[in-house]
Amino acid sequence: MVALPPPLRRRFFCTQAAKASRNHFSWTVKQVKKSNFTADIVEEIKTQVSASDFVAVSLQKTGSFAAPWHRPSPFDTPDIAYLKAKYAADRFQVLQLAICPFSIRAPTVTACPYNFHLFPRDEMKTGMPSYSFSCQSSSLVAMARDGFDFNACITDGISYLSREQESLVKTRSERPRPVSDLGESASPLSVADSIFVERVKSRVKHWKNACQDSGSNTKEESLVKALRRLIVTTEQFESRPCMNIDVCSDRQAHLVVKMLQKFDENLVPLMVPAKGGGTQAVRVVSTTSKEDRDLLLKKLQNDEDEANKNIRGFREVIDLISASQKPIVSHNSLNDLTFIHSKFLGPLPPSVEEFMESLHHVFPHVIDVNHLIQEIGLPKRVTSIPYTISYLKHRYPVPIDVEIPFQGAAVEEEIHGHNVVSISELFAKLCCILKLTPGVGEVHVEKGTSPLQVYANTFNPLVSGPQEEPTVREEIRVWTSSNTKKVRCDDLVFLWGFRSGTTAGELKSLLQGSHEVFSEGFHVRLVDKSCAIVVFWRPGSSGTFLNAMTHNLSDASSSSLRELVSEGVRASGYETYDRACRSGFWEASLADSLDKAAVAMADIRVSSESDHRTELLDSYQKSELMIDLDEL
Amino acid sequence: MSKKQWLPRLSCALSRAYSSFSASSSSPPSTSFPLKHVTKSNFESALAELRAHVRAADFVAIDLEMTGVISAPWRESFEFDRFDVRYLKVKDSVEKFAVVQFGVCPFRWDSQRQSFIAHPHNFFVFPREELLSGGPSPEFLCQTSSLDFLAKYQFDFNTCIREGISYLSRGQEDEALRRLTLHCKRLSDLSKDSEDGEGTPLVNFTDVLFSKRMKDKLSEWRSGLLHSTRNATSQCHDMSKGSKQQFQTVFFKMRPAVTLNGFTSHQLNLIRMVTKKYFKDLVFIRASGENSCSEQFVVYTDTESDKALLLTEVKNEYHRDAEKKIKAAIGVRHVIDLLSSEKKLIVGHNCFLDIAHVYSKFLGPLPCTAEEFVSSLNKHFPYIVDTKILLNSSDVLQRRMKKASTSLSSAYLLLCRQITLGVDKGSDSGSSPSVKIEVEMDDTRSTDWNSGAKHEAGYDAFMTGCIFAQACHHLGVDFNQHSPSPLNLALNENLQKHINRLYLSWFNWNIIDLITGKQIDAVGSNSSLNKRFSKIVFENVVLIWRFPSKLKAMEINECLCKVFGPTSVASVFRVDESAVLVHFSKPEFVSDFLLLKETLEGSNDVISAVHPLSGILEGGKTGAANYETYKEICRSPVSMALLADSADDVVGLGWRRKKMVSVGKGESGNEGRTSVGEEVYESSGSCLSRDVVEVEDMRATHM
Repeated sequence: MVALPPPLRRRFFCTQAAKASRNHFSWTVKQVKKSNFTADIVEEIKTQVSASDFVAVSLQKTGSFAAPWHRPSPFDTPDIAYLKAKYAADRFQVLQLAICPFSIRAPTVTACPYNFHLFPRDEMKTGMPSYSFSCQSSSLVAMARDGFDFNACITDGISYLSREQESLVKTRSERPRPVSDLGESASPLSVADSIFVERVKSRVKHWKNACQDSGSNTKEESLVKALRRLIVTTEQFESRPCMNIDVCSDRQAHLVVKMLQKFDENLVPLMVPAKGGGTQAVRVVSTTSKEDRDLLLKKLQNDEDEANKNIRGFREVIDLISASQKPIVSHNSLNDLTFIHSKFLGPLPPSVEEFMESLHHVFPHVIDVNHLIQEIGLPKRVTSIPYTISYLKHRYPVPIDVEIPFQGAAVEEEIHGHNVVSISELFAKLCCILKLTPGVGEVHVEKGTSPLQVYANTFNPLVSGPQEEPTVREEIRVWTSSNTKKVRCDDLVFLWGFRSGTTAGELKSLLQGSHEVFSEGFHVRLVDKSCAIVVFWRPGSSGTFLNAMTHNLSDASSSSLRELVSEGVRASGYETYDRACRSGFWEASLADSLDKAAVAMADIRVSSESDHRTELLDSYQKSELMIDLDEL
Repeated sequence: MSKKQWLPRLSCALSRAYSSFSASSSSPPSTSFPLKHVTKSNFESALAELRAHVRAADFVAIDLEMTGVISAPWRESFEFDRFDVRYLKVKDSVEKFAVVQFGVCPFRWDSQRQSFIAHPHNFFVFPREELLSGGPSPEFLCQTSSLDFLAKYQFDFNTCIREGISYLSRGQEDEALRRLTLHCKRLSDLSKDSEDGEGTPLVNFTDVLFSKRMKDKLSEWRSGLLHSTRNATSQCHDMSKGSKQQFQTVFFKMRPAVTLNGFTSHQLNLIRMVTKKYFKDLVFIRASGENSCSEQFVVYTDTESDKALLLTEVKNEYHRDAEKKIKAAIGVRHVIDLLSSEKKLIVGHNCFLDIAHVYSKFLGPLPCTAEEFVSSLNKHFPYIVDTKILLNSSDVLQRRMKKASTSLSSAYLLLCRQITLGVDKGSDSGSSPSVKIEVEMDDTRSTDWNSGAKHEAGYDAFMTGCIFAQACHHLGVDFNQHSPSPLNLALNENLQKHINRLYLSWFNWNIIDLITGKQIDAVGSNSSLNKRFSKIVFENVVLIWRFPSKLKAMEINECLCKVFGPTSVASVFRVDESAVLVHFSKPEFVSDFLLLKETLEGSNDVISAVHPLSGILEGGKTGAANYETYKEICRSPVSMALLADSADDVVGLGWRRKKMVSVGKGESGNEGRTSVGEEVYESSGSCLSRDVVEVEDMRATHM
């Protein structure tokens, strides 16, 4: 009986399962894992990217939105939409990232899709890139259904460090490194300094003489050389003699290096970093000539580059896309780019403006396919890519062929990363329909001449198109089933604490008789099971209502309103919602979050007694947003 | 041949064939067969089997595999943690991480064969969302290093996620049932309330047309029906072919009905309204058909009472179906219920975390304190024994272990040699003979079964059970004393002083008595460690965070000594790069320090700048608090990478508030909004800026 070793046996189990659900696509997507993530493939991608006009990206994450109200809502300000995306990006992990450099030469799209399998493995034993991450079981199950191989991902996923993490690691690395640039030290030499410098100088002098002694006598036998080395206790660095000079502070290190520069050109000082930061010693390496010295420095630089490459891992690819300055095409840019920022650049900043600015340095042009889709005016709520493609196929018969220049046999696991090709295809199609198709060699979004320019860098997922750029700050747009209306943020009231399972209709009829403000037009929508928004068509009504809810309950006119409140119904303005998102009260139900936020705000009001609330209100009155009630 | 082995069904069939021939043979030849994996597909049968085994068992060994242990480096269990803090850290771990494998291995003493019979089972567990509750989708944390560790031991994540069995805790089950009753009540309320459904007037012209058409169709069908009952000839002869497909006459609960196929939900809604509005004797019914897709019917009822009867019937059926679904969703908890109801002796290895996971995943949310947890746990599992405690606390076993590591695998190697070395060699020279253990799986038996893999829950449970059996043997437990009646190991006097005691953490520092909830001093090899830290007086401890990052623990010590005197600081313990716990020699120093810190921060003069404490306070963000606050931080669900971030989040509220006032005063409110935003986010900033934290092989301590 031939027994398979246990590992083999277990894997047998899973490869079967992995193959179980696979759909047949004709597109070849290159799968890149740790085992084949080599310098060659990076070089190949670099060429592809620089030859292409756009780079499409698509991500596979371990989760999206934990609770219904965490999804972006039409009534979110850009800030809140960003905070929601940030909350997801901070917790969840990217397990696959597909990129697809492509060019459009209508009717052909030339695309080179690569799918990278990622896992935040702690390669350096530093707790980075990610000590832990969240998973949503529904997301994992959906991925499993698509044939995702989790075993391969964890064992063979490529790791990475973000830019910030890399610089953190660098300051901690214990590799001696060449002195980059010596600033003038401000303070003058003290007596102690001079004594220190003199002492080191004489030590170096003696040591150098000893080195040269052994160097000059070339006929000496190796045995003798070795013996001499033992006696002189000279260490070797890169097969050159060297000595370590211990220093107590950065200033001392500075002094030593200064002294060495004056003393001898061919002595190369290297900083040996201490564990907790700072310098613990200066290593002096003796080189024989200027050429030898340059050789050494070059070698050190190469080593450093090599080490950094290993540290960066997959981020190499992000860096090269960034360096190419090609426009990024994404299907849900706010979500995707917040993930990319948080995993590969650095922690996400607290506000959307800072995020945009930070991202702009890395990816100056990001185009969201969704905005183009909205431009065409597809039926609302069409979000899935395959659906959109098939819809467009029927409505706009624009022939677009996808051509993938990879030749050769279909790779074993070619099931992943097709999304990114679909995005490229969809983008090309939309460009054709919108007559944005750039001619050959005309795609230079960065020059600002392309019509695509106006579509770049709009991040609010539910703001349609570029013409929605804030011009009139006072008003926001609201869509109802029949017409489009504009509403201001403070005409919105959040209502919660009603009996669970109440429908919007029931709520509306409950409200109708409770207060005179409801005699005018208003609109009720459920945000989640626990909370609804009420939109007042008439400006100022919301304030009257809120006031009645909190202060004037004793009025005889509002007995039914009092009834509502005594049943636990609470109401609050937009600022409470904003506060909940800003403070990170991401409870499962919006009602709980609003309760928490209301408490926190009451605390502030008590402690400061200043008019923070009105300030807050002011700021919301300024901000503009669009509400699509039908999408609620 | 080798391939056949891995097809469970085939091997099962083979073995069955084999055993029917040689059922009477006393010692089956040594065979190697794979561990019994239980997934969604074979859960029902495996559970039935396990039920019988557990009932007959003398003890049941368990083991769990989780997606992680520590949610942030500072959540590691430290020597500086008090009893209650230690529990809070376990609680945090349990609430964040998921269980992915559950190993159960019942052991039964067979007095005829003079050996234990073990039945190892390996359940793949995955917290799927079986019931569409509409609530938040289940979410859990993964510790990267733990996943890496599991992957190293060939854990099959694919099987786990695709085939893993889900579960409902008792609390979740109750909630689901409650929601169901509520829903049913609403349904019947709706049907009584005849006004409902007409509330929304038909605004759309197409809707009006459609409704009109449907009304005609239904009345046509109805009259045809009534007509045909009198005159049983051809009915609905004039219906067009298309509408025939949509309007198929069937029988629903012995009543004539039409199935409504191929309508959109909006159209169905309109049909429902029409039915309600115009036909007294027709009822619109939504029933869940095969494979959980719903089917719609319009049913004809003779009388008003018949209509009511039909509605109750439908409602009851719905209720039954939903209940069945909830029962099915219980999943792995059936195993726990089984263990709990049988009141068997549970054996684990360093199992406090495991037991806490079992409690929180399958019974209900963990209580706030260790005492409450223990007393509640005791009702479900009255007898728990921990083999690691057994090995460490018994002198007999200590001698046998020869001071070797008490990790699961090394203890197994040492104590259960006859299994690991192959066939039972009888008594080797010097040592007493060991207990024989046979593994039985699907009628196949083996005395030297070792084909499980380390860190697979089922195999770990098996090893734990083996160690326990050997330990009992060495402690002088006579397995034959009570035969043939059950062994009743839980009440055996030789085990009494080891039973119901667990290490209160994944490190063996404190032992908790599961009956009293009290802390017991650990005896044995770790006493030296205990002595070192037993002297900690927690009122004397202060937590300091977000001091200048380059400051070393030694320097903090020096700083404080300069202020409070050379003997004022007993020790400084670095929790992570951002925080230290300082143990003062007297409790006054804690309050003195906190007071001094506040005064120094309040004043802006030269004296505070040159004060020795300024080294710690430099940067102006340094926080400090007493030990109770540290406990609060550990209690909070917030688990940021750095303790300083979490501390600011927990403590920060008051501190932030104070600062806000000063900001508000200073800047005449123009910057009001941004200042609010910044304050809030000061605490919840970086998740990625982590310092070097030695990521240990977490499991090394858990093994």
